Amino acid sequence: MAMRYLAGPQQHASIATNQIMLQVVYACAPGVAIATWYFGFGILLNILLASLFAVAFEALALHLRGLSPAPQLQDNSVLVTAVLFALTIPPGSPWWLVGSGIGFAVLIAKHAFGGLGQNPFNPAMCGYLVLLLAFPLDMTTWHVPNAQLLDGQSFTPFSWNGLRQSLLASFPFLIGSESTLAPYIDGLALATPLIEFKMAGTSAIFTALDTNAAVLGRAAGTGWELMNIGYLMGGLYLLYRRIISWHIPVSIIVTVSAISALLYAPHSFAIYGTPYLHLLGSATMLGAFFIATDPVSAATTTRGKLVYGLLIGCSIYSIRVWGSYLDSVAIAVLFGNFCAPLLDHLCRPRIYGHRKSRRLSAMQEQDR
Amino acid sequence: MSSTNFLHLPHQQLRRRKIFGGIKPAPHKAASLRSRIMPMPLPPQLILPINQYHGTNSSPLVKVGDAVLKYQALTEKLDHTGAALHAPTSGRITAICSAPIAGHPGNAALCIHLQCDGDDNSLELQPCLNHDQLTGFEVLRKIDAAGIVGMGGAGFPTAHKLRLAIEHGTELLIINAAECEPYISTDEALLRERAREVVIGAELLRTACHAPRCIIAIEEDKPAAIAALRSALAHSPIELMLLHSTYPTGGEKQIVQAVTGLEVPVGQYPLNLGILVHNAGTAYAVYQAVAEGKPSISRIITLTGRALQTPKNFEALIGTPAAFLLKLCGVQEQHHLTTVMGGSLMGLQLAHTEVPVTKTTNCLIAATVEDFPQPEPELACIRCGFCAEVCPARLLPQQLYSFARTHNHTQLQSYGLDDCIECGACAYVCPSNIPLVQYYVAAKQDLRTLSVAREQSEHWQTRFQFHQYRTKQEKDSARERRIPTALFPVELLPTDSSPITSVQFSRQLAQQEIADAVARANAKRISRLATDTQMPQHPAKDKE
Amino acid sequence: MITMLLIDNFFINILFAIAALIGIALSIRSSLAFWYSTSNQQKTLIDQINALLPQTQCGQCSFEGCLPYAGAIARGSAINQCPPGGEATIIRLAQLLNDYPKPLNPAHGRIEPIKIAFIREAECIGCTKCIQACPVDAIIGGAKLMHTVIASECTGCDLCVAPCPVDCIDMLALPAQNPWQWQLPTELQSTAAARR
Repeated sequence: MAMRYLAGPQQHASIATNQIMLQVVYACAPGVAIATWYFGFGILLNILLASLFAVAFEALALHLRGLSPAPQLQDNSVLVTAVLFALTIPPGSPWWLVGSGIGFAVLIAKHAFGGLGQNPFNPAMCGYLVLLLAFPLDMTTWHVPNAQLLDGQSFTPFSWNGLRQSLLASFPFLIGSESTLAPYIDGLALATPLIEFKMAGTSAIFTALDTNAAVLGRAAGTGWELMNIGYLMGGLYLLYRRIISWHIPVSIIVTVSAISALLYAPHSFAIYGTPYLHLLGSATMLGAFFIATDPVSAATTTRGKLVYGLLIGCSIYSIRVWGSYLDSVAIAVLFGNFCAPLLDHLCRPRIYGHRKSRRLSAMQEQDR
Repeated sequence: MSSTNFLHLPHQQLRRRKIFGGIKPAPHKAASLRSRIMPMPLPPQLILPINQYHGTNSSPLVKVGDAVLKYQALTEKLDHTGAALHAPTSGRITAICSAPIAGHPGNAALCIHLQCDGDDNSLELQPCLNHDQLTGFEVLRKIDAAGIVGMGGAGFPTAHKLRLAIEHGTELLIINAAECEPYISTDEALLRERAREVVIGAELLRTACHAPRCIIAIEEDKPAAIAALRSALAHSPIELMLLHSTYPTGGEKQIVQAVTGLEVPVGQYPLNLGILVHNAGTAYAVYQAVAEGKPSISRIITLTGRALQTPKNFEALIGTPAAFLLKLCGVQEQHHLTTVMGGSLMGLQLAHTEVPVTKTTNCLIAATVEDFPQPEPELACIRCGFCAEVCPARLLPQQLYSFARTHNHTQLQSYGLDDCIECGACAYVCPSNIPLVQYYVAAKQDLRTLSVAREQSEHWQTRFQFHQYRTKQEKDSARERRIPTALFPVELLPTDSSPITSVQFSRQLAQQEIADAVARANAKRISRLATDTQMPQHPAKDKE
Repeated sequence: MITMLLIDNFFINILFAIAALIGIALSIRSSLAFWYSTSNQQKTLIDQINALLPQTQCGQCSFEGCLPYAGAIARGSAINQCPPGGEATIIRLAQLLNDYPKPLNPAHGRIEPIKIAFIREAECIGCTKCIQACPVDAIIGGAKLMHTVIASECTGCDLCVAPCPVDCIDMLALPAQNPWQWQLPTELQSTAAARR
């Protein structure tokens, strides 16, 4: 129940904020499903852990701020933060890593700035960046259960053994109690194809991607492109539901493709990577559709959104190719967040009637 | 001043354009359009606000106790912003006093209370059969005499608007039949049944303002009205334009944009662009006034809402209490949640239903919970920008909202709060249920109060500075005059400088009079102090 | 690591380039704005303070009008001596002067609703004393002739009451206008909560 105001519409028809947030979470589903298929249950464990921690921290923050937790928790915004955070950190991250990252995201990046709607930076990306600075090794190692059993058989990540291994990765203290699992814990540590590519120059993965040799194969690496297509589908769903506008994702994707297409010349400067690799080989789709479009911290004017996407696209590409950091979306989005208020101020739309007046006849003459 | 390009290009096609933003709410018009426009039985009493629109200036012609006939003039306008008011039926004036009218709580205005006698005796009307041969001036005079005001909502006197249009030179007359707000169906019903009359009214308006071109603009989702208009327009030079059905296309600024693609410059009116906009209801009233000789005593009102058993359009007499109309439609009190005057997006809730219908009332919604559900609690603004997408003025409602919350008046002005037309599209789409329009009207009022105070203090400052300058001048001139004062008798001094220094009377006599008056005042003061214990009359003096 | 970043990082260079561009743009903009502001009118501090005062010229602050008080504030006088301005003026003055708002000094009067002077014309003897006292020339009348107050010009300063020898001037509250005020939803909610 709320107050009925004298002024303004008596009717109201819109998707509610908490529904918007839930739709964003649902839209992650295809990408998450594909990621689970390729990289095991670690990503689901991440989401579960992050959500639990996030709700707990949100309740704590609201309590500390003297607000009643119930209505604010119902807006589901903290779930979006948790899911996006969980998707960006490596699967199979230990529980304390997840907890400390999301703790920073919710307590400092969100509530210390005044809660939902007031945070200037994307909380999930703040959490990610803090972890990247504090635990660089943990944050660049992907634990994918893909071990050889002692008897010579191997198992896929999406299996009972894979689940056990992911559990052990997330809760390392379980190892002591279940010593029988000890042989399996050496999951394959790998980074994104783009990072591999960057580290190895023109490596095998690049060749594999370039020739599309194993698009649907289950080799780690090709999973990335499918996962990105999953996120792309989720993003298209959000566009279809009109929950996000097309400006930011399109601007990012166009910028990244354009720069990479311009700079990529096969056999000469191969270090730059193909547009294909840039779009589907890393977190570009997740970033473009889910992270950069976080309305609170993004630009909100139409032209501002386009410039915002352009800035993020440029930063993504430059950090990837010339930067020291391995992944770039988080930093690029935070850089965009920095610029967003200025962009909004500079890109204000022209208000109705604020231009030189012309009489109707003048317009007609011009038309002739 | 007036350009006649349109005369040379009579058939150049204007194509419809899109307005900025806009929403497509469910129309809710079918219920009231099921029946034809109904005449209304006489209510026992009519309450007629003397000033039918904010800022008008009229004065009553009748006294309490007078018997009046139908069509008899009750008020006369004092200047061009006023419009005459006529008795909607015969009866007796029982009171001329302040009565509650629609608007915010406690809104009241001077009203003539007319007790209907039920006979409906009328003055004889003078129909005009050759109305197509009247000159513009004659039409204008008849419109003026009939007291017609804009039927769309603002209620600006039509004759005055026409006069201004003639001054500015009109190139295009737009008849606004784009009734975009949900629930309201007066124009659609009117055009469906009386399209011919509206077209004649439009012709007369065109004659009055000398516009070379006239377009009737209607939204494309009203097929019956469009068909009727098409047949009525068969041999007429008036054009028909079908607009996208988007709310708020029917706003004056928006319809100018939708029809011509031009924007009304800030602080100006469509007249400045050579465009005159009149409502379809106004055109009908003009037809009645000119062709039938009938002054404006009734208008078509939509009665709708789920609390009514038979929603319909009434041809209601001005001054009918809202409650009487609601009862005619069988209002179910147990479901009746609230009454809204106007549409569902810009309408105002009525504090009670005894308020009268005026010339600008287009709709009464007797709403149930189903119509207007209780609003959800207000959540935090997530800056999703939905509001900016739908704003027809292309403002940034999310920014205005945060500035309004923090009373940031400079930013409110620089982000164009004054350009907000309060259409409510932003609040309609807000996912966080923020009552944005309430924020804006409150902030606008704040700005207005501040600017009034600032103007006043600047004015006072100027006057104070002038006062200082004047006293100094007087002192200087008195110093110059000191020598003559000694030489000549006081009475012979020049007396033209100012009333304060002029000494035209005998000083002694004056001092005597002052002393007497002081004595009188003192006596009075003492006697007053004695009586003050029973009857404190002057609180300011009581403190002493 | 940081030096490496700074030296060998193209991205950082791009960032610097963007920052420099934005900086140049902003500085051009602000210097233009400064040029405009100085060329149009350079407001002195006293003018700025004076603009915040209510201009009733009542002298309750113990100065002879608002401008002298503004000058005194600029030289360091207390900002809480203006009863007609009330709390709002004190807060705005504090904002302008980067000072803390203080409660109104009761030695200078109390905050009261604005009143205007009214001359009981039957009792007026036409002494012109009030006319001379009025700081904004809001009283008209000639010597030995009845005086009256132009209500729209009266600031409610009270200065005409004391000089009147026959005590025929009353300070009356303004006729009640419609008390309706639109309120921000936040204010409405807090009053509703308080009522609960």
